[in-house]
Amino acid sequence: METFWVSLSAALAVAIPALATAWAQSRIGPAAAASLTEKPELSTTAIIMIAIPETMVILGFVVAVIIMLRGGGAAG
Amino acid sequence: MIVPMAKVRLIGAHAHLVDAIRVVQDTGLLHLAQPPTLGVPSAPASPALVERRIRQLRRILDDVLVTRGLLRTPSPPPAPTDTPDIHTLARWARDAHRLRRQAERLRDRRASLEEERALVVRYQRFFGAFASLEAARSRLADVSAYHVVLRRDQSGHLDRLRSALRERLGDSFELLAQVLPSGETAVLLLVPAGFAQRIDALLAEARVQEVPMPAGYGGTLAEAIPRLLQRFGEIPSELAALDEELAGLARRHGAELARAEAALHDELQRRQALGLSGGTAHAFVMEGWLPAGREPTLAAALDRHFHGQVVLETIGREHWHAADAPVVLRNPRLFRPFEMITGMLPLPRYGTIDPTPFVGVFFPMFFGLMVGDIGYGIMLALLAAVLHWRSRPSTTLRSVSEVAGACAAFAIAFGFAFGELFGDLGLRWFGLKPLLFDREHEVMAFLGLAVAIGVVHIVLGLLLAAFTSRRHPRAALGHGLSALMVLLVAVAMLAALGQLPRALLTPAAITALVAFPVIVVLEGIVAPIELFSTFGHILSYARIMALGTASVMLAIVANQMVGAMGSVLVGVVFALLFHLVNFGLALFSPTVHALRLHYVEFFGTFYSPGGARYEPLGRWSPSRERPA
Repeated sequence: METFWVSLSAALAVAIPALATAWAQSRIGPAAAASLTEKPELSTTAIIMIAIPETMVILGFVVAVIIMLRGGGAAG
Repeated sequence: MIVPMAKVRLIGAHAHLVDAIRVVQDTGLLHLAQPPTLGVPSAPASPALVERRIRQLRRILDDVLVTRGLLRTPSPPPAPTDTPDIHTLARWARDAHRLRRQAERLRDRRASLEEERALVVRYQRFFGAFASLEAARSRLADVSAYHVVLRRDQSGHLDRLRSALRERLGDSFELLAQVLPSGETAVLLLVPAGFAQRIDALLAEARVQEVPMPAGYGGTLAEAIPRLLQRFGEIPSELAALDEELAGLARRHGAELARAEAALHDELQRRQALGLSGGTAHAFVMEGWLPAGREPTLAAALDRHFHGQVVLETIGREHWHAADAPVVLRNPRLFRPFEMITGMLPLPRYGTIDPTPFVGVFFPMFFGLMVGDIGYGIMLALLAAVLHWRSRPSTTLRSVSEVAGACAAFAIAFGFAFGELFGDLGLRWFGLKPLLFDREHEVMAFLGLAVAIGVVHIVLGLLLAAFTSRRHPRAALGHGLSALMVLLVAVAMLAALGQLPRALLTPAAITALVAFPVIVVLEGIVAPIELFSTFGHILSYARIMALGTASVMLAIVANQMVGAMGSVLVGVVFALLFHLVNFGLALFSPTVHALRLHYVEFFGTFYSPGGARYEPLGRWSPSRERPA
């Protein structure tokens, strides 16, 4: 039973930030594309802007790994 | 590094101004600055006159460029050393204008012929069908003809149309139809001339459209078809004649136009330079920057031409601001390709730090840490070799290939460190053991390594910030103390986790507590926020571990496909495809995140953008295009 909760916690730790990242990128993507059509020189800024929300899911992934390792969810 | 610059001043007799500008242009060293204000009313060049001349030159250049584009003449030769006199300029202006009109007329005629050819081709598929239908029509007199083409999916419309016509006109119409090879149906409808209006309404009701009559070929399709067929034969030869005429113009005038383009670019730059001179009615003065140490080259060139009538003096460093100086980056050959990455941001200000050498070390390192696989590294190295082979020196593609080569080298090196060859294939086939640790199983060790690299990178950035702001001791001390705080917190945490002797915990914590209020005093109330933000930036380096772990897991999943598909062959194919996908991801994601770690986390600590590019007055060449 404990493995179930550990696994669920780890899954949520990734899933919720992933949804947040997806939502943020869905807003940034079109804005970046629109900016690039007018000013192609903003490509670097656009890449950075799109990569910024990925921090959430990456840190979520790190937290999930820690939960799995510390909570014993990774055993077996 | 940012090349140190020297500011110089040219002073000479007003009569030598134009020649002096030409000498400066020939040496190609001086980036001109705004003219100095001398506190005297007169200037050697009237701004209005200079502006007018520039406008005139731009007009001629525009004619030349448009004409060259239309005639598709080859690239201009190296800029001529002689300066065009007023008669040559007038001739170029006249010829370019005339040639432009001539070339535009030929272009328009060509476009119109192309349009006509497209129209004829469009109608060609109906010709045969309508021609035979028209032959039947010729037996009837005083009738209106309607030409309709029904699409393949409209074939049912024909019966409906026939019934509707019979309902309204009785037997006083004739409907001839022929199925085309394309599946469409050509329909010729013949009705007494008086029924025209009713037929228009009926066709609209049946949702079928009459084939529009091409303009200029007669009132009916019967008249149009022979003329269209005749034009179909004539147009290619007319197009060939036009092309020959354009080619003839290019042959006769191409070389002269190319020479005019180069010379006009040069002349335009000289005129613009004239606007950057100051002085009196008898003397001129110009100021500008050039790389430190190149002053004797320019001085010698001026001396050769003017024998002391135009002199060059170096302006002392204390008389100009670093913010005004232009920036040129010059790095060792090893790091030069990485200027491409720095160049994606605005140039750093003069007097600050060019981060290219640091990017040259850390960018491929981060990439290698994230990919960390001998197999993928070799694939990337092969890709880099192909790019290198296909690219020319000093191009962006060449830089990309060299950066990719460095990334591949780091990926292979870390592949040995983590014992990975296409995931766990190295271990299974060759018993490859990790030299550092196994990324698949020792995730926490990888996380620790990623954060430790983050600490090093950010502390380096803070130290660079302290160095950059060395003329402002308060700011420099603040950045230095921030770096110290980061190190102290890292030491305290490692001591608390038992990775360092526990005896270090108390001294590190106390020193950090003492340093904190000092930072607040030095940098103000924003200091604590910036400090927390710095720790956030360090944690952001965990992405190295996250992407690295994802990469190795995907590679292992790909290998497991071989045994999971029932058939070994299908499994191998799927595994190869999955590895290919993983390689594609390995090219994209680590690049974007390594860039982000540099642009946001690292550069954010010290980088001062806003430097003006060093653009010396020089001879124009096609590869050195600058806005006129």
